[in-house]
Amino acid sequence: MKMKNIFSTKNFLFLLLASTVGFTGCKKFLDVNENPNNPDSATPTLLLPTVEASLGQLMGNSFQVFGGIWAQYWTQSPVAGQYRNFDRYSVTNTAFDRSWTTIYRNALVNADLIIKSETPNSDNVKGIAYILKAYTFQAATDAFGDVPLADALDATKSSSPKYDAQSAVYDSVFVYIDKGIALLKSSATTALGEQDIVFQGNAAKWTAFGNTLKLRAYLRISGVDAQKSQAGIRALYAANPTFLNEDAQIKYSTTGGNQNPLYNEAVGLGFVQNLGASATAVNGFKRNNDPRAFKFYDVIAPADTISNILNGASNLSSNSGKSISSPSALVGGRANNPASATAPVKLISSAESAFLQAEAVARGWAAGTVSALFQSGIQASFAATNLTSAQAAAYIATAPDAQLGTSAATQIKAIITQKYYAMCGTQGFEAWTEYRRTGYPNFLITSVTSVLGAGRTPLRFLYPNSEAVSNGNYPGTVVLYQPVWWDVATTVLPN
Amino acid sequence: MKKLLQSLFILMFVAFNAIAQDRTITGTVTSSDDKLPIPGVSVKVNGAQIGAVTDANGKYSITVPSSATSLVLTYIGYASRTVKLTTSTVYNVILTSDSQGLSEVVVTANAIKREKRTLGYSAPTLNNTELTSGQNPSVINSLGGKIAGVNITSSSNTPGSSSRVVLRGGSSISGNNQALIVIDGVPIDNSSIIGGKSSLESVDFGNRGNDINPDDVASVTVLKGPAAAALYGSRASNGALIITTKTGAKGAKPQITFSTSNTFSSILKLPDLQNEYGQGYYDEVGTNDANTTYVNDPKENWSWGAPFTGQIQEYGQSIGGVRLTKPYSAQKDNLRDFFDTGFATDNNLGFSGGGDKTTFYLGLNSLNSNSTFPGKKDVYNRYNVRFNGTAELSEKFTAAVSFNYAKSNSKQPNGGQDDGGIYNNVLQTPRDMPITDFKDLNNPYYGYGVSSPGTYGYYGAYSKNPYWLIDNYENQNDVNRLTGNFTLNYKPASWLNITERLGLDTYTDRRLEKKPKFSFAPADDADNYTAGSNSQVSNGFYQISQYNVNEVVNDLMVTATKKFGEDFDVSLMVGNNIRMRNTSTNVTATNESGGLVVPGWYNLANSNGPVDVVTDYISNRRLFGLYADLNVSYKNMLFLEATARNDWSSTLPVANNSFFYPSVSGSFLFSEVLKKSSGFEFLDYGKLRTSYAQVGNDTDPYQLFTTFSRGEILGGFGSTTFPFGNVTALMAGSILGNANLKPERTSSFEIGTELGFLKNRLSVDFSYYVNNSKDQILSIPIPNSTGYGFSVTNAGEIQNKGIELSLRGTPIKTNSGLSVELYGTFTQNRSKVVSLRDGLEQISVGGYSGMSIVAAVGKAYGEFYGITEAKDAEGRTIVDQATGIPVNTTAAQYLGSYNPKYQASLGTNINYKNFSLGVLFDTKHGGVFYSRTRDIMAFVGTSAETGGARINTVFPNSVYLDANGNSVVNTTGYNKQDYFPNRADGANIVDATFVKLRTLSLGYTFTKEQLKSNRLSALSIGLFGNNLFIWTPESNQYADPEVNSAGAGNAQGFDFSATPSVRNYGVNVKVSF
Repeated sequence: MKMKNIFSTKNFLFLLLASTVGFTGCKKFLDVNENPNNPDSATPTLLLPTVEASLGQLMGNSFQVFGGIWAQYWTQSPVAGQYRNFDRYSVTNTAFDRSWTTIYRNALVNADLIIKSETPNSDNVKGIAYILKAYTFQAATDAFGDVPLADALDATKSSSPKYDAQSAVYDSVFVYIDKGIALLKSSATTALGEQDIVFQGNAAKWTAFGNTLKLRAYLRISGVDAQKSQAGIRALYAANPTFLNEDAQIKYSTTGGNQNPLYNEAVGLGFVQNLGASATAVNGFKRNNDPRAFKFYDVIAPADTISNILNGASNLSSNSGKSISSPSALVGGRANNPASATAPVKLISSAESAFLQAEAVARGWAAGTVSALFQSGIQASFAATNLTSAQAAAYIATAPDAQLGTSAATQIKAIITQKYYAMCGTQGFEAWTEYRRTGYPNFLITSVTSVLGAGRTPLRFLYPNSEAVSNGNYPGTVVLYQPVWWDVATTVLPN
Repeated sequence: MKKLLQSLFILMFVAFNAIAQDRTITGTVTSSDDKLPIPGVSVKVNGAQIGAVTDANGKYSITVPSSATSLVLTYIGYASRTVKLTTSTVYNVILTSDSQGLSEVVVTANAIKREKRTLGYSAPTLNNTELTSGQNPSVINSLGGKIAGVNITSSSNTPGSSSRVVLRGGSSISGNNQALIVIDGVPIDNSSIIGGKSSLESVDFGNRGNDINPDDVASVTVLKGPAAAALYGSRASNGALIITTKTGAKGAKPQITFSTSNTFSSILKLPDLQNEYGQGYYDEVGTNDANTTYVNDPKENWSWGAPFTGQIQEYGQSIGGVRLTKPYSAQKDNLRDFFDTGFATDNNLGFSGGGDKTTFYLGLNSLNSNSTFPGKKDVYNRYNVRFNGTAELSEKFTAAVSFNYAKSNSKQPNGGQDDGGIYNNVLQTPRDMPITDFKDLNNPYYGYGVSSPGTYGYYGAYSKNPYWLIDNYENQNDVNRLTGNFTLNYKPASWLNITERLGLDTYTDRRLEKKPKFSFAPADDADNYTAGSNSQVSNGFYQISQYNVNEVVNDLMVTATKKFGEDFDVSLMVGNNIRMRNTSTNVTATNESGGLVVPGWYNLANSNGPVDVVTDYISNRRLFGLYADLNVSYKNMLFLEATARNDWSSTLPVANNSFFYPSVSGSFLFSEVLKKSSGFEFLDYGKLRTSYAQVGNDTDPYQLFTTFSRGEILGGFGSTTFPFGNVTALMAGSILGNANLKPERTSSFEIGTELGFLKNRLSVDFSYYVNNSKDQILSIPIPNSTGYGFSVTNAGEIQNKGIELSLRGTPIKTNSGLSVELYGTFTQNRSKVVSLRDGLEQISVGGYSGMSIVAAVGKAYGEFYGITEAKDAEGRTIVDQATGIPVNTTAAQYLGSYNPKYQASLGTNINYKNFSLGVLFDTKHGGVFYSRTRDIMAFVGTSAETGGARINTVFPNSVYLDANGNSVVNTTGYNKQDYFPNRADGANIVDATFVKLRTLSLGYTFTKEQLKSNRLSALSIGLFGNNLFIWTPESNQYADPEVNSAGAGNAQGFDFSATPSVRNYGVNVKVSF
């Protein structure tokens, strides 16, 4: 019995010890909740490439596909079906979920985190971030109309951001650009180098980008608020601005995950060639005997022609199984040509810059020579497609659509139409947006299998389903054929 | 806490007495029903802790002190008996079965055994025989229909597939809603991680509860509410399944039991098909009338072509100028013919026995199954070794060890809309294609790379030969798992008991996903196919996923019991619980867009481009808890139990990481009072019970802070991934953390009664309950316009109210040995999302962008939400006046919940002499599910609903709205091809009501007399079936509503071209030596 008692006491003591240690060590014992998997901070220089690459995905993929089809550079190829519904204007809110996510969760929130960052000597990065924020908001509002801005990007403020009127969004765009350009003048900077995948940290180029963007934004509201547009452009020119004279672009490589986003998408879709040549654009190039057509599209051998169909015609029996020309690798549109991987995504092209300046002059709101700016736009486009200056000059001399005319109206028509040709395959969304603003080019058709009803075409994107189901301040779906605020040019049937 | 500790130590340091021992008593325990010996009966000396267990032949042997006056014999499912001891040393005892459970013993929380009469909450128990009657290899599936308040969803019901168990509706909005599974006192992991990229392309690797071998299970007690499970704390807020495994018997001759079941399986329910139209589509330019022309496009997956003619015509590709021919007519049984008969063999060998002071049970199990997909790409193999042993180390120390090693490996087919999705491709087969022909992959017209390298001959350009997919896509997993516990019991005095238990659950789940690299151009030489555009190309893919889970649980419990006077029995238990859980997940794949370099070589070294680190995640969580449990009984008819527990969790902010929660429950055996008055003779047993409980709950690790992740910008199908060249980048994570989280609270109230009538020929068990779960920790999906996708927050309350009714009766019981028992359950649970965060109307718990499954304020949990076809006030479909095609709602609509309105079951057990027959039907009524099977078939035009007149027909019961918004009956015809392929997602919501013949078993047990000349001690053979038949409403022409693409998660009722469910039937033999 004695032995047992001793044994038991020892045992109890051990238990006592164990429990006490357990209890006093409780705090330490429980201190295991620091996340070992992810960093809890990020410097502006590490966030900037995310913002830029997000715009690459946005402008180079989802917006490019919608823009490319609705600007009628492209149509759904009859041999596949991924974009058939886009081509028939038969889209649902869910089709825009991805674009919205790219805008807010990839581009804007990270740009905002840069702007709010307390990392010292980050003024140049913040300047770029402001300009990219302006760029992104403009793209968002041009696509969707009213979008969340004041309440957005701050869940502590509102978990159901209100939608701001498009005019207010534009006001903010101008403010962001001004802030950005001001910050780019600061000397509290960090060397960015390759971390800036657009301009490698070159502040002068970003300033030019900001000015060009501002010009683009003021011209966009020229129809709906000419006074403000004019005043803004005059003020811009008064400060002796520099404008872009090179493409603001992101270059891609053949490495997986680093490819041109449109091509990368086609890879994800099993290399299926969904995009094909639309008769609308191809016929326009043909009428003007434009050599760029053979750069933007692949020819179908052995005929050496750009085989095309009407938008929306992919499902017609007359086209059944028909192989049509695809967009070229130069624009990242050829699914089974790995060279597509290296096509750049252009945020603003030098040609666009020239055409924007030409329009400002044509409207009489800026000093300069319309024809010089107009021609330099065409020259820039030819250069970008590896054609010679002489070819461009021949085109300028002979092409019916390259004749500027004398009145502001004919000049603007020629400028926008030429901008349309220049943006083929690379800036589809901007071309479709300018078409909505100006009604040019005037040879676009209604999809032959449109589901929208007579006289209607897509004039905006639908709000994404993700907002409809998560945002208490969701304003309700606005139909596809309802024009956005600045869109006063196109004849639209009432809702 | 300090006080609690003090009392703990006071209880520990107490003197104790030894008990003198004196004589040995033996005997045999038999059942009054069948006169057969009952193994495993607990035999105890009344008032002492000396006990024994009967062996396989019902024999026991126990040494009792001279002071002993009686023995108490207890066994689950039988009334306990007290036997007065005289001078005799042999006592043979007959136990009567007692389904009512007057004195039935159940195993409750922390493996504590309690008499059922004392419980203030519902705690139904199934024994092994009841559990395994349908021979389902899943313990969870085996519960289906057998207990009220339990909602089992068995998905495909194949061995190794997912199944979900929810008690009383589940309490959590976005967290786990399944019952905690506890084996021999130790909670075990029941994770369900679906394979594939998402539930849209899911590969069902099942849930880890599948690792349990039903044959090892002695009993399952279902603790339905928090009251029952309060001692487990946070994890048991959804109730618990308390599983007790088999043990040996002391002093018993070793017994060997072998059982084998061989199971066949076939598809339970396939979609209804149209048999009128074949491959192709109608020409959209054609006028909208009888002159419509059709295009018989040979590469189509569409069946929107011309009506069948029965004439022989060419089809598919032209190879060497020759095309195949076949009649242009419907292949009526195409879907069913595609599937094979599955086969599974489940073998169990049990070896049990014991010495004077030891017992052991050794269970060996092998399950080998090849399910219904052709070939051997849907196999599941499971091997289990269980060892349970007990030893009396000394008079006061007993030790027990219980260990189980489970190894399983499986191959599972690709599901959903994945490239390799087999069922998805089968469903897209035009109605005239003879699918079984395509099995011959060496045929140039069916195969890939046959007629010449780099070309394919299969007809489909938009779909692939499903047989080829089976051969070339593969998903494997391999699980190694060890679970078990060591228990040491010390009994220093007759009134004091100290138990220390260390439990372990550790496993690795390693998965390999392989997708082939290929590039095939059509072999066609007739210009029907285009090389560039109709090529089938894939870069290939290889992914290794490694999931490691390790959990250690320690419980130290001190129990003191004391009798106060004649009438009061009191016991107090105090305990301490420590839980540590570590997990790691590594998912690594070949470069997403680059794929593989060399076809057929599945190795990360073969990645074309940088290897993609998909997930590299480790997590640690710890919990420290102290608890106490007080039981008071008065005159063995009034019982009161109170528990209290305080937890400290590592996953909550330090300021809020301690939380306390109490429970109280009582039961009143009013039949004991009524016994004394006349007029109540019909009532044998009557009990009222009620309980109130609270349970606190912590959260997952790392919810407190927002973090950053590697830059990766997703496109629709591709992505831009950093490093970008040499440039690295970070991006904001998707979840906003919350440094002020509080613990969740669940409270529950329950009231119920148990009644036994007519000598327990009829029994009733009824419960009413209300559960409220508040301050739920949610990762709320917030609008993307906030810059984030989710926000972690304390928000929301969910309420479940319901009734549970169990009835059991034996209307026929004759002397000739015929007995007919009927039993049934009825469960109605109403869940309601009471509130979410201010301003938030709903959050998504699953689905996809087109069809969310949400928790919406004021609605039942698990409501479908999506765009659907607009209806007018009278329920007529609104169409566009010009086109005659239904118009969609402008905003998403609530389309019904996946939760059934009620569940019920009805079963019978009929015994006659050596025969036994068991039948169990169960039903879930109400509720809906989303069927992408319906969607894809509407798209390709193969489902029955796409049949009938297709051109210029008027949409049934349709109206259009005039300028004033008034309904006008529609007469405008539409073409079905313009409508079905592009329908709103809401059109794919289907009524989920079903009735199933859940189990059917017919057994024959040889009597001892029949076996006398043999060495066998028992032999039985049986036929069985589970999930045998299903009846669904006419509107469900698509799938078994139980199939699910999201595994056992909260997104239920989600048929995203899910693998169809199977019926199982076979024969089993059980023999004991």
